[in-house]
Amino acid sequence: MMSGLLVVLLAPVLGALAVGLAGARWTPRAGALVGVVVSLVSLAAVLVVWFTRSPEESFAGEVDHVWIEALSVHWHLGVDGASVPLVCLTAVLSALCCAWLAGEPTSLADVSRGDTQAGPSTHALLALVLVVEAASIGVFVALDLLLFFVFFELALVPMWFVIAWWGDPHDEAGRRQAATRFLLFTVTGSALMLVGFVGLAARTGTLQIPELATLAPGITGTFELALAGAIALGLAVKTPIWPLHIWLPDAHASAPTVGSVLLAGVFLKLGTYGFIRILVPVLPEPTARLAPYLAGFAVVGIVYSALACLRQRDLKRLIAYSSVGHMGFVVLGIATLNESGMAAAIFASVAHGVITGLLFFLAGAIKDRHGTAVLARLGHGMYTRAPWLAVAFGFGCLASLGVPGLAGFWGELLALRGAYEAGLDGGVLSRATAWTVLGVAAVGIALTTAYFTGLMRRLLQGDPAAAEPVTAAGTATATATAVAAATDLDRREAVVVGVLVLATVLLGLLPLVLTAPIGEALPWLLGGGR
Amino acid sequence: MTELTSVGGMPWALASMIGLPVLVALLVATAREASQAARIAIAGAGATWIVVVVAAAGQLGDDVPQAGAYAGGGEPVLGVSLALSFDALSAAVAVLAATIGLLVQVYSCAYLAGDPRYRSYACIVTVFVAAMNTVLLADDLIVLLVGWEVMGVCSYLLIAHHWELPAARDGAAKAFVMTRFADLGLLVAIIVVGASVGSYRISDLLVAVESGRLSDSTITAVGLLVLLAVVGKSAQFPLHTWLPDAMPGPTPISALIHAATMVAAGVYLVARLLPVIAASTVTAVALGLLAVVTMVLGAAFALAADDVKRVLAWSTVSQLAYMFAALAVSGYVAAIGHLIVHGAFKALLFLAAGCLAHAVGSTAIAAMGGLRRPMPWTFWSTTIGLAALVGLVPTAGFFSKDAVFGAALDATHVQTGAPVWLAWLVLVAGLATAVLTAAYATRLWLLVFFGAARASRQADTVHEAPAAMRVPVAVLVVPTLLLGPAVLAPGWLGAQAEPFHLGIAVLSTVLVVLPGLAVWAAWRPGVDPARRLGRARRVLARELRVDDGYDRAVVRPVGGAARLAVGGDADVVEAYVRGTGWGADRSSWLLGLAQTRNVATYVSLSVVAVVLAGVLLGVLG
Repeated sequence: MMSGLLVVLLAPVLGALAVGLAGARWTPRAGALVGVVVSLVSLAAVLVVWFTRSPEESFAGEVDHVWIEALSVHWHLGVDGASVPLVCLTAVLSALCCAWLAGEPTSLADVSRGDTQAGPSTHALLALVLVVEAASIGVFVALDLLLFFVFFELALVPMWFVIAWWGDPHDEAGRRQAATRFLLFTVTGSALMLVGFVGLAARTGTLQIPELATLAPGITGTFELALAGAIALGLAVKTPIWPLHIWLPDAHASAPTVGSVLLAGVFLKLGTYGFIRILVPVLPEPTARLAPYLAGFAVVGIVYSALACLRQRDLKRLIAYSSVGHMGFVVLGIATLNESGMAAAIFASVAHGVITGLLFFLAGAIKDRHGTAVLARLGHGMYTRAPWLAVAFGFGCLASLGVPGLAGFWGELLALRGAYEAGLDGGVLSRATAWTVLGVAAVGIALTTAYFTGLMRRLLQGDPAAAEPVTAAGTATATATAVAAATDLDRREAVVVGVLVLATVLLGLLPLVLTAPIGEALPWLLGGGR
Repeated sequence: MTELTSVGGMPWALASMIGLPVLVALLVATAREASQAARIAIAGAGATWIVVVVAAAGQLGDDVPQAGAYAGGGEPVLGVSLALSFDALSAAVAVLAATIGLLVQVYSCAYLAGDPRYRSYACIVTVFVAAMNTVLLADDLIVLLVGWEVMGVCSYLLIAHHWELPAARDGAAKAFVMTRFADLGLLVAIIVVGASVGSYRISDLLVAVESGRLSDSTITAVGLLVLLAVVGKSAQFPLHTWLPDAMPGPTPISALIHAATMVAAGVYLVARLLPVIAASTVTAVALGLLAVVTMVLGAAFALAADDVKRVLAWSTVSQLAYMFAALAVSGYVAAIGHLIVHGAFKALLFLAAGCLAHAVGSTAIAAMGGLRRPMPWTFWSTTIGLAALVGLVPTAGFFSKDAVFGAALDATHVQTGAPVWLAWLVLVAGLATAVLTAAYATRLWLLVFFGAARASRQADTVHEAPAAMRVPVAVLVVPTLLLGPAVLAPGWLGAQAEPFHLGIAVLSTVLVVLPGLAVWAAWRPGVDPARRLGRARRVLARELRVDDGYDRAVVRPVGGAARLAVGGDADVVEAYVRGTGWGADRSSWLLGLAQTRNVATYVSLSVVAVVLAGVLLGVLG
């Protein structure tokens, strides 16, 4: 009897094989259609597994077979209220990425070289997107530490190709460097995390996460603190937590649109999911000792990234830094080790995926039209030049800065509430730390408002005919390019953007959609698996 | 959990006060062309007005049970419930908001005739009305916060309606960033309330305060945080600088948002949470002091401003301070009475300023003069509006201002949350501000309507505004004249009203007539009476350089910190990364030295190593 979760995992794999083997025989449209269909199959399967779950089991759709006997690695899968939203997010974003790729192949060709057949083809990119999707879903449903690690690594390698081969067409050396740096950073982090996992297995004798969670109260001590530190450091590279964030802006600036969306929307969640699924339930006591530091780094990241955004000159780098800020709220939530904080982490992860995915799709659309993402060359007054694109972008900015009524607000509220509650009696932070963290996070929110308002003013408002002073050689061509590239969203783009806009409003006005499953998962996450 | 009594049919009426404008906004956004959008917007505003008035009719008055609706409570994590309540306070302000909203929609279709962005404008105004109603109806603080912030977003989008003007862009950005910063106070206050009371419902909070369950420090903290939010939203000192800079927005928006509704939401929130504010002396004193400073400062700046809308903006700041001062001394009914009356006459004045701008092409005072004869309707409406602002008998402004003075006077010998010296300070400052108000109102009146017409202006191009603009202004004259006694009616707000103080009424009338006469005496046609202030005028015109202070204290340090952050990434963090790469490179070179591929070297090294090992073993063994 095929478990639902195996369907969830296999569908994108089969899709990747199909698209990869069919190759140029299929048009990008057909390949994209296959990609959308398999992603939706995954989505449907995980929802079926979730809604047909029985109330007594902590994990729905659980599958447990011994895989590598010598290492006691099991093929152990299962979903609960913390993983289902993330699996759904992955499936939806991958479907939208595949839909986005249904555009003409010349949009991915190297325009600077002027030939239409140049560059690697769209079907390979589609296949890689589906492989990343499968690996990411694997991370979210894995309940064995080594299996988690395998999927974690499996998601990395295709991303290198996506960034290095399909990245910024004007800067070949730069995109290779960005991709390699991204790979090295995250692989080093994963290696540290593996050390932690192996140490944990040696200490407790099992790799199964549910079992480890039941053993959690006994996992205290200096060695265990070191293990927790190693795992936290490894995951901190992926999340990313300041100051290990430096790979992210370069990767985003060089990546293609779908690469950025997957990187921001899915990839970063792999890191935060590791905190939520492994670090907190299995190592609660060591994590409680690390909590003030995690919280400190998180809020420094929020403010630092907001300050950096104020001076960014490239649109995609700006959105990348804003991601670091959002992940700061997620890590703040995790560091509080209470219900509000953990709920904040999961909610904010999903909301960030939706909102920043939207922003990156739109940034990609803008970059395609202008050939560059440099703000000085994008001109002003986009409300006139491309009204619906501008309105959607303004909506994305407002959602990202956390306007109540849209998805981004609930995560921030819960994170701040978690920080406050962590400072009360019985919390993991001292009163002073909690109020400091709260204050710094609030300053971060104010700065976020400032830079997004500045961005909207610069890009969307303003006189469309006036261009910013660029070098003398560039001014005339910049204005001409900006004015000429003023086409509004086409149907494919409108559908993708529309889905994400609706999702943002839905999660904003009906947070119950997410808080219901999260609420069910919280006892397991914070109760040590009992 | 307190339960609300439900008046039959009310839950749907309350829900539709929010739902109907949202639906209308969607219809306006998808309308095919501007005239269709205008019809839908006006019809929708009219329908909302009817629902609000019918619902409010049942609530105003004494001894009426509060209506409410409650949904939710099954939400496990956030603790938010969709709780609405509708009492006399909500009803009164809702009627004001709905009326001005309807009049502004009618006015806008003439004011913005031919504007290519009319549809988005009408849509956002309708969303704004929905958000305002959400604030007025919310019994859950988070629902209130949602409405509060959505109002801020709509205000930002509407101020920037003419975004091709740099002043509009700057004003919108400033308003949004300043008010969002202040809103963080409300967010943190809500978190503290949730943790201390166990619920976000305002009704639960007020019960907890009354029963003494909350500690003094919690009550003070919540009060001060709410005060921060309110100071920002209602443009009180020291966050007062955004409101005059928001004037490049379309004039109907200034009338709706920046005179009658959004800035009044701060007053509404303080009134709604008055038990929390009054329970802490620190908060009441802070509120009172800020209000006193603001009312005098706002009136003084209005005296030196050279743009009609800027004068009215400073006037709004000053009049809002009256309401806050009244609340600081627990003059609940007086404050809300003044809120309603001020909403009416300030909207009238702004809409009339729009008529002037329509005729003359600008709102600068220098472009006006002698408009009494070509624009009689506007002249008489503005005169009545200014009379209400000054507080002349028999306008409603006279009665509402007297109520504020009366509340302060009562607080000097009756125990309220605030100390007696604060009540005296409020009274004195209020009378001083009344003097300044009379001065700047008379100045404005004389400079705009009297004197010679500008030589550059052709006499026949100046004409009265079209009917769609004149009629809303005329409609607002009615409450400006007649609302006075209604504000004094006993129990209209479900609470004890202030009695009429004859002594204060006579004193204030004398105090406002004298400056008016003085300004008139100082005026010569074409000469600004404010010139008589000499050097003080220049100081006031620069508005005490508070903005420069913000620039030096906030904007520049943030810019510096931003440069540090980017530099830090480029030079510090990056250096570590490159350093690691360099280190790996160097150590691989070093280790590579051992790979000489020379067998003789390997043999020699092995021999040396074995000998050393043998020696060491011998020594240690």
